[in-house]
Amino acid sequence: MTQIPLSYPTGQGAVAVKRAQAPSFGAWGLRFIALTYLGAFILVPLIVIQVQGVRFGLDVFWQSITRPEATSAILLSLYTSAIMAALNTVIGTLTAYVLVRYRFPGKRLFNMLIDLPFAIPTLVIGVMLVLLYGPQTPIGRFFDTTLDIQILFAVPGIVLALLLVGYPFVIRAVQPVLLQMDFSQTEAAQTIGASAWTTFWRVIFPALRPAIVTGALLSFARSLGEFGSIIVVAGNIPMRSQMGTVYVYTQVEAGNLQAASSVSMVLLLIAFGVTVGIDLLKWRRHA
Amino acid sequence: MRETEARSPVAIALIIGVLGYAALLFIAPLLAMINGAFAKGLEPLLATFQDPSVIHAFQVTLLLSFAAVVINTLLGLTTAWVLVRHRFRGRNLFDTLVDIPFVFSPVIAGYAMIVLFGRNGWLAPPLFPIVFAFPGILLAKVFVSLPFIIREVQPVLEALTPEPEDAAYTIGASRWTTFRRVVLPEIWTALLYGIVLTFARAIGEFGAVTVISGNIEGYTETATSFVFRALNDRNNTGAYGVSVLLCLFSVVILIAMNALRGRIIHKEP
Amino acid sequence: MSIQLENIHKSYGTQRVVRNVSLHIETGELFVLLGASGSGKSTLLRLIAGLMMPDSGRILLNDRDVTHLSPQQRGTGFVFQNYSLFRHMTVAQNIEFGLSIRRVNRDERERRTAELLDLIGLAGYGERLPAQLSGGQQQRVALARALAYEPNVLLLDEPFGALDVKIRAQLRQSLYEIQRRLGVTTILVTHDQEEAFDIADRIGVIDQGQLLEVGTPASLYQHPKTMFTATFLGTTNLLNAQRNGTSVHIGDAHLPVPPDTDHLSGKPVQLLCRPEEITLFTAPDAANGYVIGRGHVESINFAGSMLRAVIRLQDATQSTVQASLLPADARTLALTVGQEVWVSIGSYHLLSAVEA
Repeated sequence: MTQIPLSYPTGQGAVAVKRAQAPSFGAWGLRFIALTYLGAFILVPLIVIQVQGVRFGLDVFWQSITRPEATSAILLSLYTSAIMAALNTVIGTLTAYVLVRYRFPGKRLFNMLIDLPFAIPTLVIGVMLVLLYGPQTPIGRFFDTTLDIQILFAVPGIVLALLLVGYPFVIRAVQPVLLQMDFSQTEAAQTIGASAWTTFWRVIFPALRPAIVTGALLSFARSLGEFGSIIVVAGNIPMRSQMGTVYVYTQVEAGNLQAASSVSMVLLLIAFGVTVGIDLLKWRRHA
Repeated sequence: MRETEARSPVAIALIIGVLGYAALLFIAPLLAMINGAFAKGLEPLLATFQDPSVIHAFQVTLLLSFAAVVINTLLGLTTAWVLVRHRFRGRNLFDTLVDIPFVFSPVIAGYAMIVLFGRNGWLAPPLFPIVFAFPGILLAKVFVSLPFIIREVQPVLEALTPEPEDAAYTIGASRWTTFRRVVLPEIWTALLYGIVLTFARAIGEFGAVTVISGNIEGYTETATSFVFRALNDRNNTGAYGVSVLLCLFSVVILIAMNALRGRIIHKEP
Repeated sequence: MSIQLENIHKSYGTQRVVRNVSLHIETGELFVLLGASGSGKSTLLRLIAGLMMPDSGRILLNDRDVTHLSPQQRGTGFVFQNYSLFRHMTVAQNIEFGLSIRRVNRDERERRTAELLDLIGLAGYGERLPAQLSGGQQQRVALARALAYEPNVLLLDEPFGALDVKIRAQLRQSLYEIQRRLGVTTILVTHDQEEAFDIADRIGVIDQGQLLEVGTPASLYQHPKTMFTATFLGTTNLLNAQRNGTSVHIGDAHLPVPPDTDHLSGKPVQLLCRPEEITLFTAPDAANGYVIGRGHVESINFAGSMLRAVIRLQDATQSTVQASLLPADARTLALTVGQEVWVSIGSYHLLSAVEA
């Protein structure tokens, strides 16, 4: 069974095969185009943000980072993304397992719907959540008055939005691994007498761990940069519900470029670090 | 792993749990949004779709997204080829770069563009304005949707055996003819899948566009920025209506994605 | 189209894959490059095709220097071991590919394709896809595709290696007939010595990147110049011997000196004797050929049309000798394990005992 092509990074390490090595000047042209494309579109923004972050001086950088609004925004991003990643890990793994293991009505439709968060604009995701869980709606009102939990414009709402946006990541990372898995291992475990849970935990789960970690890290890094749904769902209350990306947005709109730069740099570095970490893990596994 | 019927209570509980979560998480909100769009009846909704600024916003979105797809297809194919077939120092670094747009916040990307192309920017353009105009939006759309084609085509290219291409070379086919007639037919399903994903992402892009486009109504407004403005203006029907329409697009794209994904799986022997 | 290789070198990094190979192949010849896996034979073929560039040396096709030409420009036909057909094209589209890129018009392409399908015995298979063909059929199509545009040189890289033994024999016979009919200069690369013997005009033995010897199958088999060739081309017995001016001493026996071995005089040599050249006798005077000693039968193995017996000689060396005999002869001797026999040899050859 082949892998379902993944629509997000798995750190494909390009491995060159011994092929026809006839010289071609066109080859150099292609390489130039490809590297310029990547360099211009990706390296340049990376470098720009890093330079902007520190160009006003390291003490200015530190000052703008340590402003309470900035720190709070960064921490909120990290905190909510982490919660989301943790929840998503469990739910995503179980969902992938259910999708691969069992037959049930509507399975094909469900499998298709998994990709919905990839296909819908994030802003629209925010709108959807507001319409269901907003303070005007029955659910929102229920939580607010009866349970005294505010969903929108507060952490629960943020985590909800991130869960939606990051929903497919762990699932689509784990599914192909499960599909390719040899069922004989689990059958063997069951004949030995292992319960379903033991079988899952000690036979299946270890094989899934790399994929789960990759999916979780990816959804974490993705969430750090999420904006469209957050701006609708979390609003813009500094120190309360203002995420890192929203903070950058407001600072840019207000013209405070130093503040925007430093927080941008921090968020970017973390996300970039996570991506590189995933790739390193992948190379180490294949070495 | 083979499929089995769900028999045990654990299995049934798992299935219900998983499906229930999904229902709560996005199926319910989706329905709520459709409900909200029709809340004030059909006429206001239709009026929204006939509003010239809405039409214009959609035109801008579709046109620029299409352009982003074309750019990313041509350059992405080239890049996938180079990353798979060429060996050079730093290739792994460039390969890692491809994943960056997945995690690079679009807001930060928009900010980077302002730094580069804004009025006092590093590369303040001499000829035409970029930031508050089409080129900026296009750049943003290209950026956020850049990785998809590359990442979809790469594994398929890697899996190709070298013999058919070598055979074509010895028969006398140029590299371009060989690519067109031998390689492309093998990768076109993955390529198409990547194009669909690219298109979806480009349409849905909001963060960067918001930061840079200045949201001048009627000129550089995209469909997503229209929704944002409509929300701020308390034009709920407008916001929800356009959202539903965007969702419709997404569902069509989703169906296409799955049809192609199924083809990719069944194609392999 | 003759092929000439002059001092070809090729290395991958520090590993020398092709070492100073020089070779001349006549027009219309069916030349077999024979060697073990990793000997560099496939690399050499790819160098000739232009799929790789040599580090140094020259390649000439019909006296034209093609060393720096791309594969497209050399006009060779190449058949790979497997997986080379274009999967999404029909058999006919595969075959006519070379014609279509040469802008041959449709009628002519169809005519030629039909002709080729006939030639390879697959008439009527034009509309099938490669996945619907067996391995042997796919290789036939690959051959037709390589021949469609009438190349000057046909190169085949272990074309039958992935096929069953019976199919292999059929296909190489077909290849032989086609090659004879078309007269195209052909190089076949293989590790299968039987295949080489079956169809080669000449064989080039290659080991570790070096072309050791070139010759007809018979001459390489009977008068090999190197130890590798001797052992690679079939089972052989190698016995220590001494050669002086007039005779060869082996054990207590003296044998006449074979021709062209003066250079080995005074040096330790190995006597090369094929199993089929050994005869066993129960009494020394009944023996014909040259008796080299006495031994007892250690084992007898059934090998279809032959029996293989291993004899341990009773001389100082205690070396073993393999003999192959017809069942009839074995019955005459009443050959049994442990039996004492006299060993005599018919035709033999000498090799230097010291390999350079």
